[in-house]
Amino acid sequence: MFVLALLVGILASFFFVENSLKYELESTLDLQPQIIITKQKAGRDTTVDEKDINVILNIKGVNDVLSRVWGYYRFKDKRLILIGIDTFENQYDDILAKITKSTELNVSSMLVGEGVKKLFSQYYYHDYFNFILPDLSLKKIFIAGTFKATTKLESNDMVVMNKDTLRTIFGYQYNEATDLAVIVKNPEEVASIMVKLQNIFPTYKIVAKKDLRITLENRFNSKSSIFLILFIISLFTFFMIVYDKLSGLSSTEKNEIGILKAIGWRIEDVLQARFYEGLIISLSAYVVGIMAALLYVYMLDAPLVKNIFLSYNDMDISLPFIMDYETLFLLFLLSVPVYLFATIIPSWKVATLDADEVMR
Amino acid sequence: MIKLDHVSKIYANNTVALDDVSLNFAEGELIILKGVSGSGKSTILSLIAGLLKPTQGDVVVDAKHISKLPDHFCSQYRRDNIGFIFQKYNLIPLLSVKENIALPLVPLNLDEDVLHVKLEIVMKMFRIEHKKDMKVKNLSGGEQQRTAIARANVNDPKIILADEPTANLDEKLSLEFIQILKALKSSHKTIIVATHDPLFFELEFVDRVVEINNGKLVCS
Repeated sequence: MFVLALLVGILASFFFVENSLKYELESTLDLQPQIIITKQKAGRDTTVDEKDINVILNIKGVNDVLSRVWGYYRFKDKRLILIGIDTFENQYDDILAKITKSTELNVSSMLVGEGVKKLFSQYYYHDYFNFILPDLSLKKIFIAGTFKATTKLESNDMVVMNKDTLRTIFGYQYNEATDLAVIVKNPEEVASIMVKLQNIFPTYKIVAKKDLRITLENRFNSKSSIFLILFIISLFTFFMIVYDKLSGLSSTEKNEIGILKAIGWRIEDVLQARFYEGLIISLSAYVVGIMAALLYVYMLDAPLVKNIFLSYNDMDISLPFIMDYETLFLLFLLSVPVYLFATIIPSWKVATLDADEVMR
Repeated sequence: MIKLDHVSKIYANNTVALDDVSLNFAEGELIILKGVSGSGKSTILSLIAGLLKPTQGDVVVDAKHISKLPDHFCSQYRRDNIGFIFQKYNLIPLLSVKENIALPLVPLNLDEDVLHVKLEIVMKMFRIEHKKDMKVKNLSGGEQQRTAIARANVNDPKIILADEPTANLDEKLSLEFIQILKALKSSHKTIIVATHDPLFFELEFVDRVVEINNGKLVCS
């Protein structure tokens, strides 16, 4: 039972981690604008000028264009995502829209994700944080609060502050932005608008949400291949156990069946007992395995396994709880009926023999 | 009551265990099957219990042709009529005394209260109730045997078959078993004991001693 529970636990852990991260990935992608425009200099991303917005707004089919000021900031080997907002602007992201509605951000305050708050607190920055500017001077920004969002992958390491304050931290000029988010009302028009944009700005990099999805999914799937290998090993071990059980009972088990027959049990009585025994063992193993996986993934935050998927992300996140009934059903099918089958068939083979022959 | 009619048994490895044996056992009789190891005593018990089918001949118990019964009915016949005390007791070591004794009653799906009463009676009768919750593997030889006897009697069978019941016991415990045998005999059960222990041969309450040698009847 222990081995079966362990295998169910391992498989369930992988499924739970994968499901949670897939959910995070999907949620993160859903929040992205349809088209993102970045300027390139020597093949690397550089800032765009907000003046370009007016040109883009003239393209038929474009609903809105927002300048985004965002970037990364390293602190104690952790990577934070700094996002600038203007409260009077429309927001491309639900989280940011909620924040601008509910909070007044001034030039010297910021909102931080839960992971950032934890990180700052570790270094005694409970109320404020000193950002180091490009000229090595310090800028003190007060922590106005923390926020939670549907997707921790996006929000955990996020810091939201006034756009102009962030420009100061990054050393941007007035009207400089990291990229431009283009909102298109009709998704069918995205491709043609992209062509138009590319014609107007031939040196700019124009990325559609679907391209971003492919890039992120590829990155995620390459990590999943490690999972697949471990999954196959676990599955192989499980079927080895099943094969071992199918290939015959131990002498003790055979003797027990012989004893039961000798004291008056019929074949169906023996099989019924073995069925209930197998059912109790496999169901217990299933429940214990699932509980252990839930504990490991959602209470302990899946140490080791999570890192396989998250190595590209510096900031640690806690996995969102996703109850995927299909996964639970698949694991149930893999464990309980297969184990029962592997228990009953060899028992039936032995139970049909003469009791005396079995006990000898 | 029990009739072995020209019974022969040859095992798969061509060992002749019984060779044309005919025997009759009356109801309430206590018979000792005497003979050295490998003489065929245990085979006779297995044939009467329906655990084996004869190669030739017929085994009839209460007008039922046991040797011709299909497996399903053989099990039912054993459950209703036979109490078997095996040489090595054949208890399930990881189960408790009570659970081992209850095993023959499990397929009957008895009411919990009825089951409890039956078990209490039989455990008291064979003085094992004080160890009822102990695992069988932790019992002494004598206690294991008393558990095996209790299990053989829990369904109140008409026939008790005992295969070398004192082979693993010292003299004191063997004498204790003989007292149990005497008590069982007084309850009018048909008892057949296969043994080569001389303690059994001179007992005054034994009805008959049947000697077997090399699968043949020597004297009856």
